[in-house]
Amino acid sequence: MELAILASWVHLDGLGGVMGGLVGFIGLIVGRFAWKYLRGDRSQKPFYRRLLMLMGTLGVLVTANHLLLFWGAWVLSNILLVQLMVPHPQWRAARASGVLAGKNFLIGALALGLGFLLLADVTGQTSIQAILNTPGAGSRSTLALALLALAAWTQSALWPFHRWLLSSLNSPTPVSALMHAGLINGGGFLFARFAPLYLETSALLLALFVGGLLTAWLGTFWKLLQSDVKRMLACSTMGQMGFMIMQVALGLIPAAVAHLFWHGLFKAYLFLSSGSAAQEKKAPAPAAGSRWVWLWAGLGGGLASFSFAQMTGKTLAADTTFFLLVIAGLAGLQVALTLLTDLHGTRIFGALLLTGGFGAVYGVSVAAIESLLAPLNLMQPQPLHPLHGVGLVLLLGSWWGARLLASTKELPRWYQRLYLWGLNASQPAPPTVTAYRSLERTTPSFT
Amino acid sequence: MKQFTAEMPSVGPARGTPLETALSRSWKRLAPGWPLANLIAVNPLQGFEALPFEEALAQAEAAFSGPGLPEPMQQVNRESIKWLQVFFDEGQALLPLPQKEKGLYASWRALAPWDARLRRRVSEERLQAWPETPEAALRQGLQELDLPEAEWERFFTLLLTTLPGWAAYLKYRVEWAPDSASFGSPASLTDFLAFRLSLTVLLWPEAARLLQWHEDRQQVVDPRPVLDRLQQNEAAYQAALLQELQAASPAPDAPPAAQLAFCIDVRSEPFRRALESCGAYQTLGVAGFFGVPVAFQKDGTRTPSCPVLLQPQQEVPLVPQGPEVQQQDRQRGYAQLETLKHLYQSLKQAFTTPFALAEALGGWMGGWMAVKTWAPALAQALKQGWTGAIQPPLPVEPDLSGLTLEVRSQYAEQALRAMGLTDHFAPLVVFCGHRSTSTNNAQASSLDCGACGGRPGGENAQVLAALLNQADVRGALAARGLVIPDTTWFLGAEHNTTTDVVTLLPHALPEAWAEAVADLQADLKQAGALNRRWRAAQLGTRPSELVQHRAADWSEVCPEWGLARNAAFLVAPRALSQPLNLQGRVFLHSYDWRKDEAGTWLEGILTAPMVVAQWINAQYLFSTLHNGLYGSGSKVTHNVTGRVGLMQGNASDLLQGLARQSVFVDDVHAYHEPVRLLTVVEAPRRVVDRVVEQHTLLQKLLANGWIHLACLDPEARQTYTLTRQLHWQTCLG
Repeated sequence: MELAILASWVHLDGLGGVMGGLVGFIGLIVGRFAWKYLRGDRSQKPFYRRLLMLMGTLGVLVTANHLLLFWGAWVLSNILLVQLMVPHPQWRAARASGVLAGKNFLIGALALGLGFLLLADVTGQTSIQAILNTPGAGSRSTLALALLALAAWTQSALWPFHRWLLSSLNSPTPVSALMHAGLINGGGFLFARFAPLYLETSALLLALFVGGLLTAWLGTFWKLLQSDVKRMLACSTMGQMGFMIMQVALGLIPAAVAHLFWHGLFKAYLFLSSGSAAQEKKAPAPAAGSRWVWLWAGLGGGLASFSFAQMTGKTLAADTTFFLLVIAGLAGLQVALTLLTDLHGTRIFGALLLTGGFGAVYGVSVAAIESLLAPLNLMQPQPLHPLHGVGLVLLLGSWWGARLLASTKELPRWYQRLYLWGLNASQPAPPTVTAYRSLERTTPSFT
Repeated sequence: MKQFTAEMPSVGPARGTPLETALSRSWKRLAPGWPLANLIAVNPLQGFEALPFEEALAQAEAAFSGPGLPEPMQQVNRESIKWLQVFFDEGQALLPLPQKEKGLYASWRALAPWDARLRRRVSEERLQAWPETPEAALRQGLQELDLPEAEWERFFTLLLTTLPGWAAYLKYRVEWAPDSASFGSPASLTDFLAFRLSLTVLLWPEAARLLQWHEDRQQVVDPRPVLDRLQQNEAAYQAALLQELQAASPAPDAPPAAQLAFCIDVRSEPFRRALESCGAYQTLGVAGFFGVPVAFQKDGTRTPSCPVLLQPQQEVPLVPQGPEVQQQDRQRGYAQLETLKHLYQSLKQAFTTPFALAEALGGWMGGWMAVKTWAPALAQALKQGWTGAIQPPLPVEPDLSGLTLEVRSQYAEQALRAMGLTDHFAPLVVFCGHRSTSTNNAQASSLDCGACGGRPGGENAQVLAALLNQADVRGALAARGLVIPDTTWFLGAEHNTTTDVVTLLPHALPEAWAEAVADLQADLKQAGALNRRWRAAQLGTRPSELVQHRAADWSEVCPEWGLARNAAFLVAPRALSQPLNLQGRVFLHSYDWRKDEAGTWLEGILTAPMVVAQWINAQYLFSTLHNGLYGSGSKVTHNVTGRVGLMQGNASDLLQGLARQSVFVDDVHAYHEPVRLLTVVEAPRRVVDRVVEQHTLLQKLLANGWIHLACLDPEARQTYTLTRQLHWQTCLG
């Protein structure tokens, strides 16, 4: 009996394990990093207090089964995040970043709360597992799912709720690392948690796909324009979140979770090492490549796609897994292209082998997470829809277009206008820019 | 004797149209700002040095914007930052600002009519009609603001000082960068002001009010509390130091086992003291480029390695040594590493492929991140291990074959004479450059050698040692009366100021000196341990941590204290200061007035190395006095932009100066003690007088109170200090 009560509040599964593992790992790293990084900073003690509390609330969030518990942990985590973002409220720009994020999270909290109320009302249940097992399709439950999606949208900084993220870089570096590997993934986690319901509403999935695609495109485009390392990383995260949501919308929930997991580690690393950005190599100008190079590179792409499919146990089918195979193939094509160009056409075999290896590593990463989530049975590829095709064409075409633009001297007028639009759209909110010298917070007094 | 001088390069003729005059004068208010690759210390108030220190302090604080800048001007600043960030980007963005190759003003002017953020306030027609050339834009802007000619200069100055960091960087590019033509985005000083003025006038038609704001600020600022504290610090330090110097009995002359020349950098002093306590060593101090103004070439990059006041005169390739097979291995390894970096960048800086990249690399990055965070020393060893496995390291030596005998012997002679080492050569003479080591530190170069243009100085030392071992150079020197005995051998070395490890640099070593070198190495090791003990106490940590962690840890924000607490510049023989513990606060330049009756060497020292020391001193001083205004704030929220500079958080002005963590122990307590540089010269007053009389730069610095000067007159056996009226005053010791 007591166990049943406990089960109605807490639920342990692979999803909670994966998410908890990610957050715990990042927490340990960021905690150690900040020991030296924040030395002498007034905010070091509060940082640790908040970090510890955040680890606690996130632990609750990923294992919560009761709607109220889930909502409470969600809200508390976000409050703690905002506090972590603004350790020195005297700094006006940083305070404005916190306010912006806070407003955004407030929308999310309200949407989530309303959605949960509706779900509880429709199903008569308050535990998530019970709700997932209650057949309750209908317009009210779709509305609830839409509200949940809205909460996810704000949490994962998906367009048009991306502004807080691009304005969040007044945060201490370790907090950014924590945010980009942690709380930003809340949206993906929410979808994964309620995936069985979403997988039953294909119209909603298509809407999610379009939103994700748009975010992925905007985030990546803006990223390529940024000249400072942290905003570039923030735009990049936005794009990655868009891609993650696309995978949710394709019915490939475990692949989406794999994405947020590995991307979290990747991005946390990049934030923590952002002090080295000035020494980084410039990206080489995209090589034109002869017809032969392209031919071999195309083969390399196929190889990468094949080894990715082998590792993840995917087959070529007319469903949405096709999408991932194409993405793997494109990355392989790029790998082979760079290798072949740098090696001046020598050692083609070696280059192809490396390319295949890249696809395999990619595949193994995805497969590892998928196997942990296998018992949840969330891998449900959807039938292909024309919109999916549009998405693929857009992503492939943009890859091609960015290559062209990066090596073109005389840029067309439409692109110059697009550039300026993108530059403006990706600026941080004005109050969050430090528009004059003398930050209020960093003026330790001499006298 | 050829010496370099520190007179500022002129901005252009002050004669000209009123507009040109206002333009060039306003730019003179600003100090240049170097990029992250070689952060050179400058006095942020350099443009105010023509004023008395007290007045400059007030004027500068009123001009450099602080809280209270009118909101419309803040908006102008935000828009300026947006454009400047992308214009000055040196390779962060894959897709650069279109048309930036046409110049700052031209590219802005071409794109401005489509800028939605401008269009919110300004009609497209107005933007389309805006002048095409920077000169016309300046005229148009001034006309629209209806400013009287007398106010042009002040208004221009305010346009610069309200966003000084980016302007300072441009000033560096225009006036100091070694090859300013190589930037993909050309910009002139006129360009910048035209751009700033245009944005200001368009966004804030009533911008003339900025003048009123400035006047109000002038009423508000009060530098007196700061000045009082500063003077207290200085009086206490000055009295103590001069008394110590006066009382010191010079160390006895004993034939040394080796002579070691170190950079004048204040970090050399405690190390030299430690080494001297380990054996019969004589140490000398001289600017750490060792009189070798060259640029080095390695793996396709060229790096000037001399004071920024000089232009490199010679190109010296750095060549890996070893059999052909090993050379090829190294070359191949280098190419492989380059390919790996290309691969990573080409996947990251593209559309769509980053999605796959993040997943493929996430696991590796996660593991690597854990090692780097929890075991930084292990991470460093691993990294060295695998890069070494791909690209086997080979000893590198400078290739001097491109230098004529005349050039080589000239460098050699000048260097020896500058450090006063012309006779009594020990069997072993070591030139010791210095470097720092830190990980993930955007401002790392600020800890390297200022005399080498913000880079490590070991290679310069290596060059000088190699030159002095060449038979033909020794022959040429002997012909000029500088006889180096056959029993003397020269070596280059490098002192790592973070770890206190001194490395002898690759160079041929005849058998006869092997034992002496082995002894020296043992003593260097011991001296390093001694110095670490002292430095660890200063840093509040254990000595072992300096070797294992400070340099290797990617979360370290204070790898070493750098030149913090620097206070004085002593021009005297080492024998005078050797008995004293100068606490790592003094630049030591070897100088023997008996060999310099004409004062020419003293002139060289006071107009070049001392000026560099003053820049450093002023940077530490002002970064501590007002870290938010003249320093770069906390590292915790730094954001590298354009690969050239730093911003705070989301976006800000380009930050100049030192971070809070470089001069403060914590958010409250300063580690650096702000004092203006006290220069102490051991020489008869008349010798010093002659130098000061010849140089308006020195007069300016002394009369306006930017530095203090004291003279230990060996003839009069008296200590004097120079007053602001440039009169000597007997110092009661």
